[in-house]
Amino acid sequence: MKYLKPASAALMLGLAALSASFARAQTQPPIKIAAIVPQSGAGAFDGQLALEGMQAEVELINAKGGLLGGRKIELVVYDDKGTPEEGVSAAKRAIEQDNVDLIVGGWFSAVALSMKEVTRDKIISVMTSSQHPDVTAKGHKYLVRLNATSAMMSQKYSQDICARIKPKSVAFITINDDFGRLEIENYTKLLGACGVEIKGNEFYNRNDTDFNVALTKLKSLNPDAIYVSAINTSQGATIYRQARQTGFKGTLIASAGNMNPKLVELAGPSLEGVYSISLYAPDNDNAMLRAWTAQYGKMFKNQPAFIGTLGAQAVEVLAAAVNKAGSSRDYDKIAAAMKGQTWPTLLGEIKIDDAGQAMQNLYLIKVEKGQIVTAK
Amino acid sequence: MIVEFVPAPVTAGKLMDLTLLGQQLVNGLVNGMSYVLISTGLTLVFGVLRVINFAHGEFYMLGAFLTYYGMTVAGIGYIPAAILSTMAVGGLGVAVNNLFFWPLRREHEFTILLSSLGMSLLITHLAELGFGHDPKYLSSPFTDDILELGSIIMTAQRAVIFIVSIAVLALTYAAIRYTTFGKMMRATAQNPEGAALTGVNIRFVHSFTFVLACGLAALAGAMVGPLAMIFPTVGSWAVLKGFIVVVLGGLGSVPGALVGGLSLGVIEALAGGYVSLGFMEAIGYAIIILVLLWRPQGLFGVTADGR
Repeated sequence: MKYLKPASAALMLGLAALSASFARAQTQPPIKIAAIVPQSGAGAFDGQLALEGMQAEVELINAKGGLLGGRKIELVVYDDKGTPEEGVSAAKRAIEQDNVDLIVGGWFSAVALSMKEVTRDKIISVMTSSQHPDVTAKGHKYLVRLNATSAMMSQKYSQDICARIKPKSVAFITINDDFGRLEIENYTKLLGACGVEIKGNEFYNRNDTDFNVALTKLKSLNPDAIYVSAINTSQGATIYRQARQTGFKGTLIASAGNMNPKLVELAGPSLEGVYSISLYAPDNDNAMLRAWTAQYGKMFKNQPAFIGTLGAQAVEVLAAAVNKAGSSRDYDKIAAAMKGQTWPTLLGEIKIDDAGQAMQNLYLIKVEKGQIVTAK
Repeated sequence: MIVEFVPAPVTAGKLMDLTLLGQQLVNGLVNGMSYVLISTGLTLVFGVLRVINFAHGEFYMLGAFLTYYGMTVAGIGYIPAAILSTMAVGGLGVAVNNLFFWPLRREHEFTILLSSLGMSLLITHLAELGFGHDPKYLSSPFTDDILELGSIIMTAQRAVIFIVSIAVLALTYAAIRYTTFGKMMRATAQNPEGAALTGVNIRFVHSFTFVLACGLAALAGAMVGPLAMIFPTVGSWAVLKGFIVVVLGGLGSVPGALVGGLSLGVIEALAGGYVSLGFMEAIGYAIIILVLLWRPQGLFGVTADGR
């Protein structure tokens, strides 16, 4: 009796320890990825599409048993409101409070540029759709950016414009900010070099809703093509519609990376035959893309968009690199794995250079019968 | 020696210039007419109630969205949807006056101004929750019909905006000028206490003025909506244009809103067309500063001492 109490206590303790270790084998801790996306403000809709893309990919990976022999991926979602301050605060919370393993964010350049300072050499951060060269040029050893930079895009796009769209002359309508001015500078040089006459440019402001005056002026210059540089879907849709309403019958060219199903829906017939360039060609026959598109369709109402495929690609690349590194925390190994080889993804093969910049295929796309397809 | 006067031949280039000028004038007049429609309600509310209503743009937004939902959800045509949404938002004017502005009427002007700003934010955020963030396209059967008047091109929708606005504004003006109710409105504007003493039901006049103002804003939303995309914050654009026009024409003056609105439209189109579109927004603000410096009461406004 005297010995029974300690013995049973020891037995209990032993049992408890045993069941705890058994439970651990059954449910390993998830790998936490912070999804820092705009969920309010002007970028809210884009943020929603991005997050949906990530969620569909996570579902696919978890259904196959997760990573590192059975660990599931868990997305922890933060709202960066499309602003640098909120992006920085979200990244801090992710690292310090929620102890996440990896970070995906940086949909807007301004957010990516400040957020990378908080994550600098601390945690693997995949920057997604931002195009500013400095995101990787002044990046850090754990940072990767998926989208092509504006310079990479204009280089390829101008070749396609000269060789395949072949306008004799072009006029521009561009947004009056850093991005718009960079566009004008790039394309004036690149298109001028292959003999396209530049007829003029009109800047518009971020809050403008009527472009009739500018488009009337551009039409009177009688260009073969009008290049529309609009990053905001609602302004873009209005510009394409109003361009046709002024009676302009020439070619319309959409700026690189700014073609999406919502734009097609809003701009209607005015977008028919309009070209753009993108990492994502929806009609691409890639098995990974098809699996993701099917999963996305099961989970969400929206049409899959470029921004969603980038979210999915971020998850894919991280998952593959974590598996190869054999750890979700050994950041040197994960970074080396990401940069070490060519990875197959839903957007085709991707190679990441030492600075963390991804090299990917860019497709010339076109709107045909209300669908975005690869230009033949 | 005889110097012969030879008239310069009209070259194709000059014709081109004239067409462009004509086109930009037409663009400006149509835009201007939509500004007039927006600012008439703003100026009436100020004239009768002495309220500067920051939420005015939100009624413009609601007009556009209710027309959109009338067409997509209820499945009715553009014209009945536009009329119903104008009436619905007009009806909302009664609620707005009775719940917000009537109880506040004896408060300081700043209190009322801030309340209207609060209401504007409230409506915008509710709209973001209810309608979603994504932009929508209000499709009108007239948007893509192109009318060619000689070499000047205009869509049927723009013609509709111009013609309907003139008709509605003429009716509004006639009602204020010639009906008993119009007299009651003007009496209230001139001296509310005096009007009340002679038996005018001030509360009714206030409510009806709001109905008129909200209805005009909603009609503008329903007609201008199809020219661009609509989203919950589109009202801030409308109220901004409205304020520029009202400062230009004179707070409380209906003819001032007409002249102010058309002038702003034409000035913007010519400056945007011949200088740079980048300046178009700045021009509105420059006009406000100039008018406030040179004629603070606006072109058609009356100062306190009656000048």
